[in-house]
Amino acid sequence: MTGGSPWSRRALAAVGVFGLVFLTVPLLIVVPMSFSSARALTFPPPGFSLRWYAAFFGDPRWMDAMWTSAALASLSSIAALVLGSLAAYGLRRGSFAGRDWAEGNFMAPLIVPTIIAAIALYLGLAKVGLLGSFIGLVVAHTVLNVPLVMMVMGVAIREFDLRIEQVAWSLGASWSYTVAKVVLPNLAPSVFAAWIFAFIGSFDEVIVTSFIAGRYETVPKRMFNELVLEVNPTITAVATLLIGLTVLALAAVTVILGRAGKLRPTLA
Amino acid sequence: MSDIRLEGVSKRYGPVAAADDVDLAVAQGEFVTILGPSGSGKTTLLSLIAGLNRPTAGRIFIGGRDVTDAPAQERNIGLVFQSYALFPHMTVLENVLFPLGVRKIGGAVARSQALDALKLVRLEGLEDRRPSQLSGGQQQRVALARAIVFKPDILLLDEPLGALDRKLREELQVELKQLQRTLGVTTILVTHDQEEALSLSDRIMVLDKGRTQQVAAPAEAYLKPANRFVAEFLGIANFVGLEDGRTGLVRPERVRIGAIGTAAKTARVVEAIYLGQMVRYHLALENGAAGAPMVAAVPFVGRAFATGERVAVSWEAADIWPV
Ligand SMILES: Nc1ncnc2c1ncn2[C@@H]1O[C@H](COP(=O)(O)OP(=O)(O)OP(=O)(O)O)[C@@H](O)[C@H]1O
Ligand SMILES: [Mg+2]
Repeated sequence: MTGGSPWSRRALAAVGVFGLVFLTVPLLIVVPMSFSSARALTFPPPGFSLRWYAAFFGDPRWMDAMWTSAALASLSSIAALVLGSLAAYGLRRGSFAGRDWAEGNFMAPLIVPTIIAAIALYLGLAKVGLLGSFIGLVVAHTVLNVPLVMMVMGVAIREFDLRIEQVAWSLGASWSYTVAKVVLPNLAPSVFAAWIFAFIGSFDEVIVTSFIAGRYETVPKRMFNELVLEVNPTITAVATLLIGLTVLALAAVTVILGRAGKLRPTLA
Repeated sequence: MSDIRLEGVSKRYGPVAAADDVDLAVAQGEFVTILGPSGSGKTTLLSLIAGLNRPTAGRIFIGGRDVTDAPAQERNIGLVFQSYALFPHMTVLENVLFPLGVRKIGGAVARSQALDALKLVRLEGLEDRRPSQLSGGQQQRVALARAIVFKPDILLLDEPLGALDRKLREELQVELKQLQRTLGVTTILVTHDQEEALSLSDRIMVLDKGRTQQVAAPAEAYLKPANRFVAEFLGIANFVGLEDGRTGLVRPERVRIGAIGTAAKTARVVEAIYLGQMVRYHLALENGAAGAPMVAAVPFVGRAFATGERVAVSWEAADIWPV
């Protein structure tokens, strides 16, 4: 924030504060509402209760969705972590024809509108007969989360001195030994951050999931469907749990990257 | 222990030839320095020998074996960079144990070998520190210990002392030279510091724009440079016109100056710089090539000539080297 007149700086600050309030007010309303004792969505809540949490945990359909989401997020985030990290390594360290093209291809799911990615995955999975299958979901979420992993790992790998790897090779270490014993231990904080981003990315995903999930229900998909059908306060409890999970995960990322002194380059 | 031979080695990056048809033979146990300005291709040449890069043309032999297409892992080379490139997550001892672990040497044998290497670089008692807890000089010693602990055939050093302050650099130069002699390991050092090159090496290879300019013993390269580039790159060069029309080189230490009347040529002192044991005079010649600059370095005894004073200048015909 160098330069700029006092006026433009004040205007920028005002826009910033407004944006922040705009983004957080819905969260601040949802959380108290989830502890409401009222039968319908009313604000402010007339009294305190945990009935909507009980309703969530007592409903086998919600629990099913929860397990589906958890399994899906676990598998797809690990797959995205492995594939995205390898891609980032190859793109950062390699020099081959079509490098930029390959990078653009991997990053595309982050750039093209989600609805287009959804249609593409719908058609693609239908073609190979995986539409509506759990494996299809894992594949789709993996594709969607690879760019997140690549961004985090790409920065981390670029920051890691190539000469350290070269020395390891010269000392006789194979490429895989070097990656396992030298590169990964040093990039562990970034690997963890990338995994968290991929996990949350999958856990929050609703558009593509709605297109291809068939009979499978994930938590966000079920939330969406519930909202369309009826306004049930259970959703506020689910939302609060999701917010809690996200905040905890991001806090963990912040702490770990902060401790490793990696926060600035990763978020920059 | 091995010798190194480069035959017509080139490395092109698009239109740039980072190494251009380089020939070099380094004998077993020899210490050769590659000297050149920034961008002359020193690191490129070293990385080709180390196997981190493949040449566009030419062959590389180590110990008589053609290693041109062998990966870095199979060359048994100790490598040290200016940036140290220590493994940040390992302790000093773990860093030095790394190449032994790769070679499946473990336990007490590895430990005693690693401790021996650390002793050789005079770094004892710091085994459990992390690189971030060491000074630059200490980190460089660790890098050196790690590079010699597995008894490599060859030691390659890319500006290993470049990041250190002058005093420490001079100290480590002496240690490096002693270490190299003790181990008898064939060594190539890269530097752009001509003093370092002159003081450490058996032979110097001067490089410019990827091309070899001269390969010679330090004194020979200094006093009998192959061309003007080498003359100017290795210290201060005075160029004087010769009777046959050619140009001759006279080094500052070979220029004698005295009171007016002691020699035919005269000059005015433009600047007198006191350097401890020596005084360096920047002169402007008066007769013949009037105004031509000349630098003389003479031992400091008692009185020095002052700026603006006129002096007599002379040199021996035997001290002129045509370039
Ligand atoms: N990977 C690369 N791609 C393109 N050009 C390169 C590459 N590596 C080196 N070069 C070019 O090759 C030439 C020699 O580079 P090199 O790093 O070998 O020089 P150097 O003598 O080690 O310089 P310095 O003293 O600055 O380290 C330079 O012109 C450089 O720009
Ligand atoms: Mg270099």
